[in-house]
Amino acid sequence: MKVKIQKFLDTASRKRLITASCWMGLVGLGLMGWSLFDQGWIPVMAAMSVGQGIGTLSFALYLLVVIIELRQVEIRHSYRARQRERGDH
Amino acid sequence: MHVSPLSWIALSAGIIAAVIMILYLIYRPPLDWKTRGLLFMGIGVLPNVVAFVGNVEGLRATEHQAFCASCHTMDMWIEDANDIESASLAAIHSRNAKFGNSSCYVCHKDYGMFGYVVTKIGGMGHVYEFLSEWMRYDDEEVLSKIHIAQPFKNDNCMQCHTTTGSIWSDVADHNGLLGDLRTGETSCVSAGCHGYAHPFSKPGEETPSHAEALSAAQAPSPEGT
Repeated sequence: MKVKIQKFLDTASRKRLITASCWMGLVGLGLMGWSLFDQGWIPVMAAMSVGQGIGTLSFALYLLVVIIELRQVEIRHSYRARQRERGDH
Repeated sequence: MHVSPLSWIALSAGIIAAVIMILYLIYRPPLDWKTRGLLFMGIGVLPNVVAFVGNVEGLRATEHQAFCASCHTMDMWIEDANDIESASLAAIHSRNAKFGNSSCYVCHKDYGMFGYVVTKIGGMGHVYEFLSEWMRYDDEEVLSKIHIAQPFKNDNCMQCHTTTGSIWSDVADHNGLLGDLRTGETSCVSAGCHGYAHPFSKPGEETPSHAEALSAAQAPSPEGT
């Protein structure tokens, strides 16, 4: 399982994830927006359950992209830190 | 349809978020810091504003009579409550401008410490029952098969009619039954007292006389009772 997750994080397309996140965000927003104008039980319940669930999932995908990017960041030490490592003062 | 100022703010936030996402989907710009920041607003911050306002407005909407009326199973109850000719307790109370628009909620909610949550959980039970069974009922089945889950609590009446006011205490029956009424042993809405709040749903059982109901309707506001 851990290997699968790692492989996914290494190979997943960030653009595809963001695209999926946007589509889901639009659906979630639509459901939540509907409940602001029609306050029958169907729109209100849909907004508070399905709408917010899809919206949360959409934001989770965005955060996944952030995690993927952070994993790929190459941390370069500053010039001073490298100097210290070499013992130059 | 009433749209509150808060809803307009949420709608503006929602439109901006939707525009950001749609523009991303159309142009697919590279994921640089500017795009990431905009997407963070469009996918994270602004939809949260919509969700928050949606929750506030949605929960507020669940207190309104119109929300209860959005299920067909409640049609007869709402019709009676809003009938200006009706002398039922529900109709008399619904005519009170102070809470008439929310009369279902005000009378049926739980007034305990966690009353709001308990009431909402009860409401979820209604939604489950409606989706699983009640939605297929016609009026006849609604009347015969759907009943209040627990006997109506006197505590709910006593939120307004405190049992301490002089007008209330002047009624001999109230004084005689004070202990029983406060503990709930005798129900305010029983056949021998004020009758059922929705008498049409209990055909053949005793209901208050029209004169009694009318005099109750003309009585002063509950603060004195």
